[in-house]
Amino acid sequence: METFVILSLGWAGIFLPTALGAIGSIVGCARAGQAASGALLDVEGGYGRLVGASALPSSQTIYGIVVTMQLNRVVTIEASPGLFAVGLLVGLALIFSAILQGSCCASAINTTKSKPEVFGLAIAPAAIVEGFAVFAFIFAMIVGGGIPGGPAN
Amino acid sequence: MTTSTNYYSLVASLPYMPRWFDVDEVPISRIRLEQRLKMLGERDKSVVEQVQGFLHWDRQESERTDEDVQREYTRLMNSIANRLVRDIINHRMDIRTVTCALRRRRLSLEPPSAVGQYVSHIQKNWQHPDFRLAREHTWIPRVSKHLESNQPLDVERELLTATWNRWVKLADNFHFSFETILLYLARWEIVDRWTRLDAAPGRQRFDRLLAQTLESDGDVA
Repeated sequence: METFVILSLGWAGIFLPTALGAIGSIVGCARAGQAASGALLDVEGGYGRLVGASALPSSQTIYGIVVTMQLNRVVTIEASPGLFAVGLLVGLALIFSAILQGSCCASAINTTKSKPEVFGLAIAPAAIVEGFAVFAFIFAMIVGGGIPGGPAN
Repeated sequence: MTTSTNYYSLVASLPYMPRWFDVDEVPISRIRLEQRLKMLGERDKSVVEQVQGFLHWDRQESERTDEDVQREYTRLMNSIANRLVRDIINHRMDIRTVTCALRRRRLSLEPPSAVGQYVSHIQKNWQHPDFRLAREHTWIPRVSKHLESNQPLDVERELLTATWNRWVKLADNFHFSFETILLYLARWEIVDRWTRLDAAPGRQRFDRLLAQTLESDGDVA
């Protein structure tokens, strides 16, 4: 039974980055997308920029997929704790960054509709949040490389 | 109408609210604002209707007695649960009470008997120039001065400024929520009120209120 639980956690660890990243992207893109849709009612142009900004939180799903591919290997008792720990922690970083990046994008969209010239500055906080997701992603790749088993074929 | 509100869409669909109410026109017409508010969910819609009802009541020219105001205040407090809405109502009522007290004292009448948290405090500090409330309400000395010099537009500006500043400060704490919408409506109401005012009608209104007060033996809140 104990072995089953440990192996299950290992399998969960492999898929958690994709699952949590995707959940974060869903919420983040939905928030920003709703703001973009609302803003369309109040602007006369620049629609593409508003809708484009709402897609920024989708990158966390891509990071999650790449980490999942890096962690994917034959799940053993030795590898499971590492897989679970890395998968869960990077997944949490991705979910929070995606959700909060969505809020940043929504604020940027709301600001940009009345002051289009500040779009670059308004979107900067979203880019900064993205930077932290990239840090988590890169170090998950590095740490994941040290987990016993190596990537599966 | 849906059961829940999509705050992100609704807030983003509302035009930018200026940082100051002294502008030429409202950022969005009443008709268009009502159209946007159709995005509200059922529960939010009923709260917004309560707020709009109160704000409408608040801006009507008053022929009300203290008892009328007290009755309306009690009705609102019994029917409204939302904390921000209660805060909006309490703040407006406090301003009404203090302004009413300043006017009554100027006319050598009795302190007001309604409504809100400051009634007994004002009665206790009736002889003090600012009822010992100037620390919390810094506008009182200025309003008192404008009342003394018969400047109804300046009185109105001070009162609206006091309310406006409070809503702006509160609005900075909310972004895409129901509170954002309530505070937007409260500020829109002030801009609408101000843009409809000019000096001549303001003076006429002031004179009419003064006459009413004198005729009704000081029973106006």
